[in-house]
Amino acid sequence: MSLGRFLIKRTVHGVFVVWGVVTVVFGLRFLTPGSPVNAVAPLDASQELRQRIARDLGLNKPLYEQYFDYLFSLLQGDMGYSYLRGIEASTLVLGRVPATVELAVAASFIAVVLSIPLGVIAANRRHEPADYGATLFSLVGISTPNFWLGIMLILVLSVQFGLFPTSGRPLGLYPALALLVTEGAPGGLLRWLHHIFLPAVTLGTYFTALITRLTRSGMLDELGKSYVRAARAKGLPEALVRYRHALRNTLVPIVTVVGLQLGTLIGGAVITEAVFSWPGLGSFLIRSINVRDWPLIQGSLVVIGVSFVLVNIVVDALYAYLDPQVVTE
Amino acid sequence: MAARDLLRVRDLSTRFFTGEGQINAVESVDFDVREGEVFGIVGESGSGKSVTAFSLLDLVESPGQITSGELWYRDEDLAAEFREQRPEAVDGEFVDLRRTSERVRRSLRGPSFSMVFQDPMSSFNPTLTVGEQIAEAVEVQRRASTNPRSTRSRTQGYGLGRMLAGMVLPDSGYVDEDSEAQAVKLLEEVGIPDPAERYDAYPHQFSGGMLQRAMVAQALAGEPDLLVADEPTTALDVTIQAQILNLLDDLQAETGMSIVLITHNLGVIARMCDRVGVMYAGEIVERGTLEEVFEQSVHPYTEGLLGSIPDLDDPAPRLQPIEGSVPNLLDAEMEDRCYFADRCPKAMEKCLDKPPEIECEGEHAAKCVLAETEYHDSRRLPEDYFEEVADD
Amino acid sequence: MISPRTLRNLRSELRRSALAKLGVTLVVGIFLMAVFAPVLAPHDPTDQNLNDSQLPPLGFSTTENRTTSEFVDGEVTIVEEEVTVNATAEHPLGTDSLGRDVLSRTIYGARTSLLVGVIGALLAVLVGVTYGLVAGYYSGRVDDGLMRAADVMLAFPSLVLAIALIGLWGRAAIRIPDPFVAAGITPGMPPDIVLPGTVVLVVALVNWGWFARVARGEALSLRSQEYVTAARSMGAGDAFIIRTHVFPNSVTPILVLATIQVAAIILLESALSFLGFSGATLSWGFDIAQGRQYLSSSWWIATMPGIAIVLAVVGINLVGDWLRDALDPGIEQGEGGV
Repeated sequence: MSLGRFLIKRTVHGVFVVWGVVTVVFGLRFLTPGSPVNAVAPLDASQELRQRIARDLGLNKPLYEQYFDYLFSLLQGDMGYSYLRGIEASTLVLGRVPATVELAVAASFIAVVLSIPLGVIAANRRHEPADYGATLFSLVGISTPNFWLGIMLILVLSVQFGLFPTSGRPLGLYPALALLVTEGAPGGLLRWLHHIFLPAVTLGTYFTALITRLTRSGMLDELGKSYVRAARAKGLPEALVRYRHALRNTLVPIVTVVGLQLGTLIGGAVITEAVFSWPGLGSFLIRSINVRDWPLIQGSLVVIGVSFVLVNIVVDALYAYLDPQVVTE
Repeated sequence: MAARDLLRVRDLSTRFFTGEGQINAVESVDFDVREGEVFGIVGESGSGKSVTAFSLLDLVESPGQITSGELWYRDEDLAAEFREQRPEAVDGEFVDLRRTSERVRRSLRGPSFSMVFQDPMSSFNPTLTVGEQIAEAVEVQRRASTNPRSTRSRTQGYGLGRMLAGMVLPDSGYVDEDSEAQAVKLLEEVGIPDPAERYDAYPHQFSGGMLQRAMVAQALAGEPDLLVADEPTTALDVTIQAQILNLLDDLQAETGMSIVLITHNLGVIARMCDRVGVMYAGEIVERGTLEEVFEQSVHPYTEGLLGSIPDLDDPAPRLQPIEGSVPNLLDAEMEDRCYFADRCPKAMEKCLDKPPEIECEGEHAAKCVLAETEYHDSRRLPEDYFEEVADD
Repeated sequence: MISPRTLRNLRSELRRSALAKLGVTLVVGIFLMAVFAPVLAPHDPTDQNLNDSQLPPLGFSTTENRTTSEFVDGEVTIVEEEVTVNATAEHPLGTDSLGRDVLSRTIYGARTSLLVGVIGALLAVLVGVTYGLVAGYYSGRVDDGLMRAADVMLAFPSLVLAIALIGLWGRAAIRIPDPFVAAGITPGMPPDIVLPGTVVLVVALVNWGWFARVARGEALSLRSQEYVTAARSMGAGDAFIIRTHVFPNSVTPILVLATIQVAAIILLESALSFLGFSGATLSWGFDIAQGRQYLSSSWWIATMPGIAIVLAVVGINLVGDWLRDALDPGIEQGEGGV
């Protein structure tokens, strides 16, 4: 099987999963007690409005028709209408995406940049203080609830020392960069960095800890394998043995596990957003659930599910690229 | 017959410091390897053969450690380099590698020593192509010779940035085109069909025999003086074993290198070796030329090994297995006596003392008290023995 | 299932590893704390006392300058006084904004976390393992269909799905009478243990897929083993074979996974309580949410329950590592062989 065919296969699988996610989200409406109209209509809706909503939702049609209508409108980017907010759901939902993407990418960046060197140092200095430190950090890091970590960071860095703002996102990365490019003013970007720092550290800590742990044990595992001895036997400098051979192979299991843990990243983003009032999809979803704005809930869930599947396909591609055995098996 | 010594191993001991205690894997081993010969080391699994091999190339990994011994390697240039600096590490043209630095020892891997491992499938990096790994072995030497300063540097000028890029992008410039071409040539030399095409194949796309050939090619990349082959045929099918042995034979004839061949297979030893050392429980218990060890064996362990091979010409007698098994080499349980005494059919009271190595005739020596008494008896025996054979 | 050899491995690993000892100590400690909460807690955790609100923990007595304005004789005077808030041994970890004892609440919080963690994990094991064993044992098309469905389940971030489900289903709480209070040993303590029912259901629902995956993998590799083929050739039924041969042999990986999942579920439960999606009001996550509003004045309200969560989860993760290292000898080896 070629790499291309492998990716096509994974993509087909991904499409299948997206379809499943959409179906589950559609089905949630029927798992909810009461008529779907209750879920969509504001509490004080008039009888007239309720009837219009029932017609809009196609409740008079057979179930399968409602389902296909839902699928087709989603394909056209239509997520329904928020009667509570009086606006198209897709406008609100998609507007929240950049903030969450920024947060997730910043957290992943912190995690990757810190964890791999940390894990490598720990593996290179096994049974030395650096190793114990990294092990302790990764143990506590994967065991700390991130909302509590966020609160503690706020307590120490914001309340005590006043170094970082406790909440909010005054501007997005895109406008910040635009400012930098058009007017040469770095202020916006700095402001953005200042605000995203604590949320990104909060969200990234779990992954830093997890990948540190995986890198350390993976490096130790790889360094014990015969091919490493064989690489030394041909006179390769130790740095090349460790980084060109062992570390690269350590990335294979890391990518696998991180792929499996992406759900945790997104779930973590939801709660981190709630702690820092970060205006992303997560805090939006929680608020929508609290006010039971059904089209917004559905829309957010679909966007989260689809992006999760997309990222998974990227991870699969990376995995196949790093480990040539995956493709041929 | 006056081949010069290439390597003199003296009193080599390698120990492993594990959670369960200290393991004496190699204990005070002496042997010489001459130019252009095949020296065999034979023994059961767990007798310390492989660790001896790793010790020669300084490849013993934690928790193992070479705890004592000298490795005198003949290299005029190196001797000249060290004569001033470290006179105690130089003896004529020989240099004691144990007294040089780790970087020197590393720089000798490739051009002086190289190794063929037991299991080719696990001895190649699964995520790099076979060709690239061989080219890498060529490249190390190319960089070393073009820039002798960087020979012993940590990364050979292959910087951190490239290393990071190399983690994500596989072929990012460590290996140069000439080295690639040389790797293809090496693949061809060891008899791999379509070498240019196979260059791009990954280890899991090779058969075991072909991959072992590729490993031999990799070992030849630095044109070594001494090739250490650790059970090179054990993981292979019988028909392919013969092919690999023939290949080693041919290559040795061509290049004149020495080979240390490590195996548990007495047939392989008989087929390949000029001189042999028999290992038991970390010690070389008997050594000498092939004829001396195989036909006039003194140590009961060697006799036992030879007695446990079926003889096609005379299948009638039952095979004589050696009772018991190799001791576990845990230091705490090793007493100061002959380690084979428990299993030895000829054990006597004297065996409770550590037997010295006793020289017999020629190069023949054994660590057994019987060497003194029985050797001279056994000198007479072979004559009868050969007469009997002639009668058949 | 648990052979003497397994027990020996467990014991020797426990003796060897200081981290394993720490893990077992923490888990046993938290477990005892949860079981004997009414005996151990110095106060009723729900008892409010506004006179003693926001008392600091022992060793953290605070002195602050407070400015108050007083209206005396038609004149406003501004009084600056030094107010000392003394910690008392009565409340070693201080009190919260309503004067409830933080130590008692932390002790009681262990109950919610452990109950949800253990019951949720057991439910997930029950559903997931059955599902996975069936999929793996029959393999082929049955396996394909079942595992695709499980993949869809796993495709969804568990916290997001849990929030959505609880948000839509509401927060049902089940009250279980506390045996200590019922037996009259500790009168005056809360009479019921509140189990957040929806949360238990939801955490099981979002986590069973992991068990299905592992059980399926084990079943797939075991079904081709000779003793299974032999049993089948002797006419044993599928259910019988799964129960007697396949399941017992997949216990080890499932046990290791279940341990780690208890930790994950405790974290999930605390997150749900923090967001206010759980019915329980005696929960670490809930207390953190409460304390968050008083961060600048009373840091301990949010800090203490958080430390309890970290200790519990570290302990369970360490026990998970211990089980993995002891039961699966293939993991930490691969070097230093002779």
